[in-house]
Amino acid sequence: MRNRSFIKHYYIMLLPGFVWLLFISIIPMFGIAIAFQDFNPGQGIWKSTWIGLENFEYMFSLNDTKTIFFNTVNIAVMKIAGNLIVPLIFAIMLNELRLMVVKRWVQTIVYLPHFLSWVILSGILLDVFSYTGPVNGLLNILGIEPVLFFARADLFPFIVVGSDVWKEFGFNTIIYLAALTGISPSLYEAASIDGATRMRRIWHVTLPGLRTTIVLLAVLSLGNVLNAGFDQIFNLYNPLLYSTGDIIDTWVYREGLLNMQYGLATAVGLLKSVVSFVLIIVSYLLASKFANYRIF
Amino acid sequence: MIRETTLRSRVFDITLLVVLLLIAFLCILPLWYTLAVSLSEKSAAAAGKVWLWPVGFNFNSYQQIIGDRSFFNSFWISIQRVVLGATITFVVTTMMAYPLSRSPREFRMRNVFMWILVFTLLFNGGLIPWYMTVKAIGLYDTIWALVLGGGVPVFNVILIVNYFRNLPKELDEAALVDGAGPWRMLVTIYVPLAVPVLATVTLFTIVYHWNEFFHGLVLTSGQDHYPLQTLIQQFVVVIDASNMTEDQYKRMNELSNQTLNAAKIFIAMLPVLIVYPFLQRFFIHGITLGSVKE
Amino acid sequence: MGKKMVMVGMMLLLAFTSACSSTGNEENETAENNSTPGVVEEGPADPFGKYDQAITLTYGKEVDPTDKSLPAGDTPENNQYSRYVKDNLNIDTKVTWQAATGTNYEQKVNLAISSNDLPDALVVKDTQLRAMVKAGQLEDLTDAFNRYASPAMKSYMEKTNGVSAEAVTFDGKMYAIPSIQVHSDGVHQMWIRKDWLDKLGLEPPKTVEELENVAKAFVEQDPDGNGKNDTIGIAGQQNGGRLYANFLESTNNTYGLDPIFGAYKAYPGYWLKDDAGNPVYGSILPETKEALAKLRDMYANGLIDKELGIRKSASEPVVNGNAGIFFAPWWMGYGPLPDAIKNDPNANWQAYLLPLDADGQFNAHMGAPSTVFVVVRKGYEHPEAVIKMLNLLIRDESKFDISVPVGHYPLRVPMSYMDESEYSAKALQEVLAGTKKPEDFTDPGYKLLAADIQNVKKVKKEPYDNMDIQYWDPQADLGVWSRIYSLLVGSSSLQQDYNKVYSLLYSQTRTMESRWSNLKKLEDETFLKIIMGAAPLDTFDTFVSDWKKQGGDKITEEVKEYVK
Repeated sequence: MRNRSFIKHYYIMLLPGFVWLLFISIIPMFGIAIAFQDFNPGQGIWKSTWIGLENFEYMFSLNDTKTIFFNTVNIAVMKIAGNLIVPLIFAIMLNELRLMVVKRWVQTIVYLPHFLSWVILSGILLDVFSYTGPVNGLLNILGIEPVLFFARADLFPFIVVGSDVWKEFGFNTIIYLAALTGISPSLYEAASIDGATRMRRIWHVTLPGLRTTIVLLAVLSLGNVLNAGFDQIFNLYNPLLYSTGDIIDTWVYREGLLNMQYGLATAVGLLKSVVSFVLIIVSYLLASKFANYRIF
Repeated sequence: MIRETTLRSRVFDITLLVVLLLIAFLCILPLWYTLAVSLSEKSAAAAGKVWLWPVGFNFNSYQQIIGDRSFFNSFWISIQRVVLGATITFVVTTMMAYPLSRSPREFRMRNVFMWILVFTLLFNGGLIPWYMTVKAIGLYDTIWALVLGGGVPVFNVILIVNYFRNLPKELDEAALVDGAGPWRMLVTIYVPLAVPVLATVTLFTIVYHWNEFFHGLVLTSGQDHYPLQTLIQQFVVVIDASNMTEDQYKRMNELSNQTLNAAKIFIAMLPVLIVYPFLQRFFIHGITLGSVKE
Repeated sequence: MGKKMVMVGMMLLLAFTSACSSTGNEENETAENNSTPGVVEEGPADPFGKYDQAITLTYGKEVDPTDKSLPAGDTPENNQYSRYVKDNLNIDTKVTWQAATGTNYEQKVNLAISSNDLPDALVVKDTQLRAMVKAGQLEDLTDAFNRYASPAMKSYMEKTNGVSAEAVTFDGKMYAIPSIQVHSDGVHQMWIRKDWLDKLGLEPPKTVEELENVAKAFVEQDPDGNGKNDTIGIAGQQNGGRLYANFLESTNNTYGLDPIFGAYKAYPGYWLKDDAGNPVYGSILPETKEALAKLRDMYANGLIDKELGIRKSASEPVVNGNAGIFFAPWWMGYGPLPDAIKNDPNANWQAYLLPLDADGQFNAHMGAPSTVFVVVRKGYEHPEAVIKMLNLLIRDESKFDISVPVGHYPLRVPMSYMDESEYSAKALQEVLAGTKKPEDFTDPGYKLLAADIQNVKKVKKEPYDNMDIQYWDPQADLGVWSRIYSLLVGSSSLQQDYNKVYSLLYSQTRTMESRWSNLKKLEDETFLKIIMGAAPLDTFDTFVSDWKKQGGDKITEEVKEYVK
């Protein structure tokens, strides 16, 4: 039958990608063993001593483990939410704009922050929020006392999440814009003929059209539930902010500085992967059971 | 697009415009700041005097960069990396996405392969095994290390699969009637219709390869083989002051030359900023699906 | 295929026999030596012995990305220094990979260590050295050192009173050659705007109380005369910087607060001996609490930079003329000062060993003499090669043309007389005063002195004994000015008597590997909060008990074992 011969072609199409995947992603997975070892580079992975779950036990034995995990999840979840919602709103706004010229320029400009690394942006943020910086200048005009922003652990997560969303929303907007092009204009026309206003059209046509994309991005972003953003936080934090800003990755980094212990870093990585994987499987099952929808 | 001329609609439009412009303004500020610093005088930048306007306007930094051989060498390496990377990634991911977008009825193993992909997205062995594997394959210090070292961009593949899946089933049926096999379907039907998502992922790939610096550091033997961002990153990184030698004191001033660093950053951003508008039209205008309804 | 094998076999045989019958001196030791890896070479050990057959040495190289001094055709691998080594020792040095000074180089080394993919030799830090010893990746250099180290190298090491030897010895065996650095990098002084002092009619503050008064005057009396209330008394660290140097990072803590702690005889971050002779960690002692209390007051009174520990750049207030005081080591002529003077030619930054403690003494905690180390991978046939290379460098460094920085010398680690800075400062003063002539300074161990003496009058104007900024000419040659100013202004004060406090150890013990980062986090958080008023002073006491409970006591026991 047609389908059988097609299947041969499907395999051929998959081949280059999976060979590439095999070498770069799958084979190195043997390194996960390091999470269970007292890794000695001189002996290599095959001969280092196995210590089972000791690395994990160590991680959970510290006083701040709870705080660190909480900080990580707190910041990561806020980022996930922000990075899903803000680009969506922005993409819809952009889509509603009719001036093409402005549309293209705005879209290009909002993508720019994505290109700046956190090394540079952190310097800028420290300046912007400094005691004599523009933000405090603004507060001054509004009659509010100046704030030492980077001394405030309570404000830190918001600065982190806010700046990250600001940096990345342009990037994520593009994905939504691409999906928006797939919505047939006749649907809009039909809605308009039925008397729908702007907002209703957005609610009844635009959003449903984006549904699969939103769900997909949401589920994929669950993969980052334990990634609060090392680069950003590392370049921004200081000891006053540890109570809300110290995350798993910064903690692992400081450990590694002192003793080059790969077992710990790998164990943490493994933990993150397992948690993300479980979350994704759960959401997949929920979606397929209750909404009869296969996310991937 | 639907045109309306009610007052309410007009107000909506104007508010929208103002808000969007404000947001755009906020986004361009840091870039503007970097540009201003790059055109300023070194001591003024170190004194924190530069905000949105250059102090002591001069082109010294840019002149220094243009005269620097290593800059253009790395620039060229980055171009090669981006062109090779974007092309290979485009071909491979598009090819992969097609079979994965088939339903399990058509292609039984589809779910298995899909979950393998998701698995690799989440699990990895860490830096050391990856490094050892890449070296063992023999890619060290070659352009291919940079092009292939990042692995298959699974996120992109999933995006394309999702888009393919949302295309109407009538397409397949019409094509089958015409006697088309998978290759013809992919190339003549799916790819043209998926231009918005393909342009998107191509942009992502280009940006990724252009900005990536870590592989450029660990998979090469030295500056002669660095892509551009790796070259620049050398200067922007903080020096560890606890181990300084006489020579390093001397260089402190140069390494912390903010104007030079800013200029390098700015120049490194330019190519992508130039390429971007070309790709942009594919996902703003897009190709409507109106033609498929019949 | 068979024929080829025979050919290869014959060549190997040929090579083997020729290696055995050397043309040089052949003594009775040869027979035994040939079979023991690591101790090769026929004949009596010549520290500068040229190899009869060229040998290859691969290494990873730290390079300075801003360095443009190499002449056309030269590379980091092939330059005047590598050729010098080849000509004198017949060693072909090959660079396996190179990376920029700092984190990039560290990462490459870490990667090489972890993937067990090492070149023949490397320059590494203390933590990397310990990891490599633990992993069994290093060649034992004890024998090679004893036989091949030149008298000069041995004397450098002896001057550190055994500290550098300790740093490289594990289980009685020596696994690396240590660097020996100038100890002036570890001494933090008070840099102050003398022009502001003069303007307000004040003297450099000798005690902490006087320091407070001066800082207050700086903040309130608008010394820069711009009518704005923007002056900072004491400038402090930037976001992520260290408040004080600690035993693991013991030098170059620019913009720290070290001298103020010293004025209270407090040495946080250092391992000291208590009255009973037992080791104790400086940060948990009552003197530290006292110092913190004072710093807390000073901060609350606005005498210290409000954005201590959170501002973007610590050098900014100094460069833009807003700050009056900061604490740093001697080499500030390379640091913020050139830019500061560019912005304000009247900025007269002078350095003093102040403030003094209650007994009128200046207390300085001293840095580790050795911070980088040369190591050789296990199994390399000629470990003594690196020792010979260093011998050569020590002997001939003063002869080199340093327009190409000596950092390009293969596997170079600094080996200086620890007192090089203050000695040079004194020499320059004497030459300027006319009491000595350039020819009077003959010790080649002070390698840069000849050049310094030649250059000093380029940038120093008369009167030679006045160090105020008006009597200098930075524009004549900024590079030279940076060094001479740092020496004459920064290092000359080091000639005085001051109390040198050393840490009992400068590297970690076993338990530290797993517990220290947590203890340090506790310390950093508590202290900064106390100073900035975000936590009450008595949280110090909670800190002490927590510190002891969470591993501090155990570690103190280990230190006790270590220093026995």
